[in-house]
Amino acid sequence: MKIRLSSSCAFLAYTLLVLIPLWLALDRLIWIAGPNPINWIGSLDENYISQGVVGFTFLQALLSTIVTLIIGLPIAWQLGRHKWPMQSMMKAVLTMPFVMPSIVAAMGFMHIIGRSGLNIRADDSTWYTTLIIAHAWFNMALVIRFCEPVLSTLEPAFEEQMRLLPAGQTKIGRLRKLWAPLLAPSVAAAACMTFVFSFTSFALVRWISLGDNTLESVMAGLGSSAGIPNYMVSRNEIILGASLIQFTVLLSSLWLMSILQQKRQSLLPQASEKFVKTNNNKGWMIVGPGLFFAVLPLIAVFWASFRIRNSDLSETTYSWGTGGWEFAFSSTNSMPSAWDALYNSLGYASLTLCIALPLGWTLAQTIVNVETKRPRYARFLDILTMVPFAASSVMIGLGVMLGMIRIDAEFFYSFWLTPIIAHVMITTPFVVRIMLPALRAIDPSYDECAQTLGLSAWKRFFSIRLPLLRGTILVATIFTLAMSLGEFGASWVITRNSDWTTLPIMIDSLRSIPYNNSLTTPAACAVSSVLMGITLLLFTWAEKFRPSKGGGMF
Amino acid sequence: MKLFTVLTLCLVFVASLSGCISQQLDDDEQVPPSQYEWEDDGELVIATYDVYGLTDELINEFENQSGYQVSLLKLDDAGSVLDHLLQHQGVQVADLAIGLDNTYLQTALDYNVLWEHSAELTNLSESSLLPYNGTYAAPFDQGYVCLNYDTNIVDGENYSVPLSLWDLTSEEWRGKVAIPSPETSSPGRAFMSATTDYFAHDSDNVSDWTDWWNAMSANDVIVTTGWSEAYETHYSGGYGEWTEGYVGDAHIVVSYCHSPGVESWSNGNWTKSAALNLPRASFHQVEYATAIEGGNLAAASAFIEYLLSPAINSKMPIENYMYSVLEQSDLPEEGGYRFNSVVPQQPANVSTTDIAENMETWLSQWNTAMVAE
Repeated sequence: MKIRLSSSCAFLAYTLLVLIPLWLALDRLIWIAGPNPINWIGSLDENYISQGVVGFTFLQALLSTIVTLIIGLPIAWQLGRHKWPMQSMMKAVLTMPFVMPSIVAAMGFMHIIGRSGLNIRADDSTWYTTLIIAHAWFNMALVIRFCEPVLSTLEPAFEEQMRLLPAGQTKIGRLRKLWAPLLAPSVAAAACMTFVFSFTSFALVRWISLGDNTLESVMAGLGSSAGIPNYMVSRNEIILGASLIQFTVLLSSLWLMSILQQKRQSLLPQASEKFVKTNNNKGWMIVGPGLFFAVLPLIAVFWASFRIRNSDLSETTYSWGTGGWEFAFSSTNSMPSAWDALYNSLGYASLTLCIALPLGWTLAQTIVNVETKRPRYARFLDILTMVPFAASSVMIGLGVMLGMIRIDAEFFYSFWLTPIIAHVMITTPFVVRIMLPALRAIDPSYDECAQTLGLSAWKRFFSIRLPLLRGTILVATIFTLAMSLGEFGASWVITRNSDWTTLPIMIDSLRSIPYNNSLTTPAACAVSSVLMGITLLLFTWAEKFRPSKGGGMF
Repeated sequence: MKLFTVLTLCLVFVASLSGCISQQLDDDEQVPPSQYEWEDDGELVIATYDVYGLTDELINEFENQSGYQVSLLKLDDAGSVLDHLLQHQGVQVADLAIGLDNTYLQTALDYNVLWEHSAELTNLSESSLLPYNGTYAAPFDQGYVCLNYDTNIVDGENYSVPLSLWDLTSEEWRGKVAIPSPETSSPGRAFMSATTDYFAHDSDNVSDWTDWWNAMSANDVIVTTGWSEAYETHYSGGYGEWTEGYVGDAHIVVSYCHSPGVESWSNGNWTKSAALNLPRASFHQVEYATAIEGGNLAAASAFIEYLLSPAINSKMPIENYMYSVLEQSDLPEEGGYRFNSVVPQQPANVSTTDIAENMETWLSQWNTAMVAE
């Protein structure tokens, strides 16, 4: 009974939390734009501001996915099939970009292509390629995480038997008949996720490809004039059209993803990595550049935080100094200090964790509990918890913003906790996704056994469940903290109507300050370095506790 | 099944809640000052964008003088300031808006989101009161919006200096002109307004201003969200080339007629940028400080008075790179500031009433012209 009550409460809280803001936003937007979805979608091409955006969004997401696979697959193969010194460390470095806040990646790439780097920024034909490569940097971790476990644990006998068969005598033959069918679900799942993340890219698009927008960045840009009666009605239509397309694409991707996830669970005989992996000296040619690629933008950010530009009419020189750091950590009337942003970010992250972890856990537990008896109902709940994935962070931000204006604008403006609403909405689905496989893996007989021994529910929780789930909880914890710290899209929309800033928003604002204050760029990089440092710390910690096998998608 | 009932109930609850809130959106009637209701909480929240003039020193001095605690709500551009006011109609969080100009002001007035301020203003120049002369908005700076070009590149050999706006639609200028969007930026909107007058008075009776924009769109004009992206990132003739993120693909940009003066003043009497003084292609822009409905009117009025005091406002050219609104004020001579600034003989003649009546239609026509093949 107690469990049922807590499950119902969790679902009620979650539904209210997710649906109220989205509902309020949709209600308001539809009220202004009219209820005709064909109009909404048509308005995308009828308006200069959003013309061509659908095409750009699809094409760049598709190309990003292809490039990510081209870069990620050889690295995953090398990691999975061969022995490497300091293997786990290497894997950590190669997968770390995925947890890096996108704004930090944007700053890193801006410096690689900027004047003190490759100096190709002025050539607008390079922007598209840069964006695609930046997306590949971000998402290659997905390919590695999804494919490497399949590669590293496949029973070697499979390949040996294959070699004896006519179809498996050549490398290409084995690739076609063994590896391709084996890896396909994992590659497809990674591709699917990469597509989703590139499709909803905001910070990278905002900074790298000037003038070209994704649906997500268009919505963010138009958000400020959304929901005003009789004013710029077309913008409401654009936002509705964009979110409708985005919602459909994301939902189909998630559906595809969940089918692929099930396929990936098909059981194949596994062997220890010790037997599977062989030595391969030539592999460095792939892994070496891969490692370099993974750390380059981060080094660029840190390096640029100390590099101060001095320009006059005759020449431009650079000097080294901590001016950018000092500028970032001192406050002015128009810009809070990085200390404030750090304090807010850490506060939001911890509070988000306090809400999202128990909430996500309870939701996941509920799904697991009903799964065997009522699979269809479990599926419904499962999809419900994924709604925020499909809504995208800018849409969530718009929902919260319009919601707060309608409920009590003044209160939310000065209320310190306002940004948390969006952070909880965004992180809870991830907690559910991380907790689900671990909860499914717990053998119910443990619990039953303890029950017959007379252990109370609390005792069973603390002495059985908690120790079994320790690793997963820590991964979920760290992931939630990292997500909240790096959250950009929703916060970007919300902080425009609130008194509070976070580290990622501060980076964006610092970089946007006009006029030639030579300290703003190093200052933006200094704040990026702080955010990067915290994320790295969390990530290293998470790697220690990652369950060795499976471990969910993250 | 119980769970399902709970979920359904909560959906019903959400739906009804959103219905209640929708009904709060009735249009407000204009309230006379005698009926204003507000309280002085000792704080002043200013909704603005990157207005250079709002320096730390200026704000600190105001805080010390008046005892008010000032905080800034930073928005993206003039368009976002207006959006913010409209979005928060009836539930405003800021007390004072700084940065609406004469192309945006009327919309704010129409939506009744402004209150009459009680600042005592004297010594304002006639020109600054030309577009609007009332107590809902106080002018604090002004200037002429016009095209600027990079004289190093537009030197008569590589590129010829345009003699009419139509010249910019030629192949030579493909992708080389940067204009901030009239939908989001105030100089962009000012320039668009100027083109309506320019093409209404040109010798060609066949085509109109929207045809020119359509041709510009076909000629790959660079349209940016705000002035800084156009001038700083894209324009090759300004200070942008010394900043990070500079692209420099445009040799003509919409900025101010006195921008070359600002360049020269900050570079020790040197600039390669010049204003393109075409008749009716420039626009007299006045920027306003406005008290927001429901806000701290005393604080807002005190700030307006402070901003327009001779000591502060006379510094506009240096602190804010705009003309002061005070009588008998001018740009300083130092560093070639005044020498390199152009005062257009024949700016576009677009009345405030015209703007008020037509802005929405113009914007929609502009949009249609820009997307048409």
